[in-house]
Amino acid sequence: MAESVKALPNKIQELIEIREWDMRTRKGVDRFRELKARSLPSVALDGTLVYESLIPGQEELIAEIERRYRAKNP
Amino acid sequence: MSALRGAVEQNNEFASYVFHTQGVCPPEIHFRLSGEDTVHQVRFVGGGCPGNALLVARLVDGKPMNAIVEYLSGIECRNDTSCPDQLARAFAAVKKGDLQPAATFKVAEDAVSRARVCFIGNLDGNLEVLTALLHAVKYEHVHAVYGIGNLTGLSEQNDNVVSMINKHKIQAIAGQLDWQYAQGKEAAPVAPLSLKNRDILLRLPQVLVFQIGDQKGMAFYGRYIQDLPGYSDFAPFALEMNMVCDLTRFMKDESVFPALEAMTPQFSVRLVVFSESGEWKHHDVGGVMFLGIGSAYENGFINWGILENTADGLKYQVRKTRFSPE
Repeated sequence: MAESVKALPNKIQELIEIREWDMRTRKGVDRFRELKARSLPSVALDGTLVYESLIPGQEELIAEIERRYRAKNP
Repeated sequence: MSALRGAVEQNNEFASYVFHTQGVCPPEIHFRLSGEDTVHQVRFVGGGCPGNALLVARLVDGKPMNAIVEYLSGIECRNDTSCPDQLARAFAAVKKGDLQPAATFKVAEDAVSRARVCFIGNLDGNLEVLTALLHAVKYEHVHAVYGIGNLTGLSEQNDNVVSMINKHKIQAIAGQLDWQYAQGKEAAPVAPLSLKNRDILLRLPQVLVFQIGDQKGMAFYGRYIQDLPGYSDFAPFALEMNMVCDLTRFMKDESVFPALEAMTPQFSVRLVVFSESGEWKHHDVGGVMFLGIGSAYENGFINWGILENTADGLKYQVRKTRFSPE
């Protein structure tokens, strides 16, 4: 999952900060539970769980990031 | 050279060591080093003269290792050595790099592959219950009995329970209270354990690895292991413990089982046994059998678990029989 996010085009990478959590660790599990996630892989955007159990297509992910960016930067 | 074992505990302040002695009564010496080489918490474990051992421990506490070696080495008591001499040899082994810091938690392995085993847990220092359990288990024709902590509890019978566990050679792991009592930190109303039984508890592992048929399993008590100094999320069996304790909250939160299923391919065992929750549980998730070991005594019944390797695979049953404490 992290790879699909890291593979985003540079212009999108510049808009976001990526944080990856290791589910083997207690910190990773704590974050997973904070997000109320249930399955893996999971992706949260702006602290909200958006994708669970599926890896979104790059176009879909880009569109969602851009939508959120525009909402915060009208 | 004595048998050396790098057992556990290492953090930024202390490194803990376990030295396996030769030629003296206590089979192990436990100690910690801080900073460069300051000695702390020396314990001669498993035998010896308690008064003299305590004196040596007090005299060396807080002293630099190098400054005290000359006072310890060469003293003879038996077999051309002594407890102080063995401590000096332990320090020498540290300096030479032959003795490494011990691990945060102890892992023991039942070397024999079993076909039928019994799990008992949460005895809470109840001697009557343990006696009744051992009587009942006698008719189960099991090849091993595993005690999954807590052996002790808020009980005046703790000493007798620990002695009986030891006498019957039950392969036990330390629960949270067992660990606490091993450190001499009994809860207020409970009388301190005898030094002998405290040492028995101190030498109990936190994790027991076993084999049923061709399936490898691990058993642990619960969350206190994660709080031991130097615990690493990447230590052997830490993944299994993190998933049980933190992700699933002792298998109570079934909503996260899909995530657990995604993690089980990284497990090193196919059976995970725990007992902190005090509930009898059985779940199969992601090809791993998770067993929660409940209370040995509950609502007028004594309880135990039987795990058996059959032609149809592993079969697990919780057994109970009525019991009236006197």
